[in-house]
Amino acid sequence: MSVTPKETLYQQIIHVTHIYLGPAANRFIARQVKGHLHKDPEDITKSDLKKLIDWIQVAVSLLTDDSEVIEEYIFQLHKLANDSRENSKTRSAS
Amino acid sequence: MASQVTRAVNKFTSQSAVRAMVRYGQLAVLYLLLIFALPGNKQVMQLHNLSTYEYHILQLLIGLPLLVVWFTAFYGYSKLEIYTESIRRSPEALGFKRLTQGCTWIAWSLPIHAITSLLSNTVSDNHSGFGAAVIIVGNYVDTLLPVVAFTLIGLASRQLFDQAKITLSGISIRGITTLFLLGGVLYCYLVFRQFSGAGLSSTHNPYHMPIWISVLTLIVPYLYAWFAGLLAVYELIAYGRQVKGVLYRQAVHMLELGLLAMIFGSIAAQFARSAQLSAEHLLFNTPLVFNLIFQFISGLGFVMIALGAMRLKKIEEV
Repeated sequence: MSVTPKETLYQQIIHVTHIYLGPAANRFIARQVKGHLHKDPEDITKSDLKKLIDWIQVAVSLLTDDSEVIEEYIFQLHKLANDSRENSKTRSAS
Repeated sequence: MASQVTRAVNKFTSQSAVRAMVRYGQLAVLYLLLIFALPGNKQVMQLHNLSTYEYHILQLLIGLPLLVVWFTAFYGYSKLEIYTESIRRSPEALGFKRLTQGCTWIAWSLPIHAITSLLSNTVSDNHSGFGAAVIIVGNYVDTLLPVVAFTLIGLASRQLFDQAKITLSGISIRGITTLFLLGGVLYCYLVFRQFSGAGLSSTHNPYHMPIWISVLTLIVPYLYAWFAGLLAVYELIAYGRQVKGVLYRQAVHMLELGLLAMIFGSIAAQFARSAQLSAEHLLFNTPLVFNLIFQFISGLGFVMIALGAMRLKKIEEV
């Protein structure tokens, strides 16, 4: 799965979620961010990501019993979180 | 704001489900009242040596499975309506709205057909002068409802198809056309067999209309509706296979299986009814058994539609 570097963090999360929730991805993430982080979806930052992933894991567990799908989805989101962290480290070092 | 939206959706959910069930209840009570209030067919009573009471009880026993099918149909479309309402601002809302409208028309066509059949059979049995008129009106009602329903479902599948940027391959289109042609030719053979060499303007046929009018205003619309239904099923299956989202696809798969069963059941029931018009007034015959089987398939389809819609709705809730 490739993510364009110009995408915002929110768009990257939607991109990953689209693989699992298809056309419902935007609405799903917007609901999680608004409902649990009390923020506008576009305002989400790296520091919110861990909490958001935890909430997403809870929500997706309610949709399916297929643990492989859940693990794979959460792994992709964690990868996104790690990538963002590495990017910010690189930026601060330079 | 979010809680207001949730409250509005919950209110709609309960209203929509209750509204559908109330309408089902009203139609079921009307049907049961008609079974007992309308006079029985004397020919059938004599043929099977039945008293009036026994005739009505048998009609009730035949009617009860239909009531179960209608319940599943009304339940199915109300669940789909609730899901459609929950995504009303999304790009795929229009497709699902039309799909819901099509399913609603199919659901309503079940009791409407049964009630008009009961009334028209009674009128033609007891007032022979009106017999032809009620059969003609019944045939047009039976044609109009699926034409509208399948047109709406066809528009819905096209909308979802275009929105997901999916295209049909040439082989698929040729396959559907061949399947439709085979079904159409078989249907025309069964229908024309009933005309038994009468002239084009003769009304001595089960449709009680000149043959050319029957062909143009009943048979052609039937064939159009069935083709629209078949194409819609194919497009919905392709949508369910190709749309993105592992979990979304699982829910859509249940919905598409339901639509497949519902559309197949209603086309087959209509096929059986319209190809065997002359035997319809009898109580116990092969077309009746086939009609019940096909209506059950349709009812099963509505159950799957309800399950698929509930799964999709859950994605919008968590």
